[in-house]
Amino acid sequence: MKVERIVKFELGRLNAHIPERRITLKLALSSAKPVVFTKDGSVHHFKRDELKLLSKLLPEGEWDSLQLPIFISLEPKLGRGAARIRGEAEVKVICKILEKERKESELIIYRPEVAVIRRKLPTTTQYMFIW
Amino acid sequence: MAAALSVSPNRMELIKLKQRTALAQKGHDLLKDKMDALVMELFDTLRRIQESRAKAMEQLRKSYSALSNCMAVLGTVETMQAARQTRKEVQIEVSTRNIMGIQVPTVEIGETERNALTRGYSLHLTSSSLDIAAKELERALRLLIGLAELEETAFAIARELERTKRRVNALEYILIPRLKDAMRFIMMRLDEMERENFTRLKRIKAILEERR
Amino acid sequence: MGLRIAVVGDRDTVTGFALAGVTYSHIHRAKEETLAKLEEFLASSEIGLILITHRTADDLGPELNQMLQDKKLLPLVLRIPDKTGYAPKADELREIIRRTVGAEIIIKREGE
Repeated sequence: MKVERIVKFELGRLNAHIPERRITLKLALSSAKPVVFTKDGSVHHFKRDELKLLSKLLPEGEWDSLQLPIFISLEPKLGRGAARIRGEAEVKVICKILEKERKESELIIYRPEVAVIRRKLPTTTQYMFIW
Repeated sequence: MAAALSVSPNRMELIKLKQRTALAQKGHDLLKDKMDALVMELFDTLRRIQESRAKAMEQLRKSYSALSNCMAVLGTVETMQAARQTRKEVQIEVSTRNIMGIQVPTVEIGETERNALTRGYSLHLTSSSLDIAAKELERALRLLIGLAELEETAFAIARELERTKRRVNALEYILIPRLKDAMRFIMMRLDEMERENFTRLKRIKAILEERR
Repeated sequence: MGLRIAVVGDRDTVTGFALAGVTYSHIHRAKEETLAKLEEFLASSEIGLILITHRTADDLGPELNQMLQDKKLLPLVLRIPDKTGYAPKADELREIIRRTVGAEIIIKREGE
């Protein structure tokens, strides 16, 4: 069925923008042109002012544990509008921005919070679809 | 309605259909999430555009006004002459960033503002109204570059949103209902066949009993 | 990758942006000529942004819209008012938004 072929194609490309390898905040800060390369071959640039913001939210010793871009993971099983953040350093940074107190290595956030994060960190966060 | 999907009414087909429906449903839910995220990104971009446009248009208005003034004071020909002599080397760095599969521009601007001494036109043949006009225009240029980045981003997101919406609708209103109808058809036929079988067995049993 | 800027419009707009440091320019006089110049600008690997006045864009009509739809990511194109301040009622951006999101806005307001 033609529709199914289209859907399979769309699902295949849902995560095509995900970078093959992420880079740490430490590495990004020290590069002249901080970029990552996506699976489909395109380049994604991080904006310097976002990197600066992130460096202020984490102690210098933890700069090499924050992986960029931070994934905002959309999983239908979480329900519509919910998203998951994984990683200790990642969760720490997100919590600081949202002014929450959380010490886990995973965090669920909701649509209005996702909006706040995306507004503050448009190039250093990326959506990821999981099913 | 079942004619839309031609299937033979057997259990194998039913199982396959169940799998296809599950996949279509999953695809639908994921694409709906993507759509929600795109709408959010679009709204945010539009909000930024509103602010950026207001500032840029105001600055542009000021610039044109200063330019008119300059042409009145210095003379149109002289102004155009100065424009010819000005260094025209403004550069922008345009790179790309990715939002869910769409490439959108991200622009870094170098210095746009210069001063009377560095622009390139000779000072003693011009007037301060020229310097003022040029400065306002340089400021306007910077704001317009920022606006261009935002508008192109909004267009790109809107296009992708349109595509995704079409996919979601095709799944919700065409494919999934057809799959469900086909499943219902098969289940009905399977039920029917079981009943026919049952009736046949009863008849056979009755005949056998009679023979005894 | 340092890219340049181009401006297309009436004489005064072009003069103004030349003063601001814009590298390439074209004064709009005849439709065919301007369309050809625009094609050149769109194909150039040196140009990152094209500023074009609303009046010029209106003059160029649907051919311009087709060119903009077909273009790649670069160069960016921005429509700007000229010194008369003229801007058309039909805002490209608003149209697309209404088409894709119109219904969505209403639904969101009721649901949330």
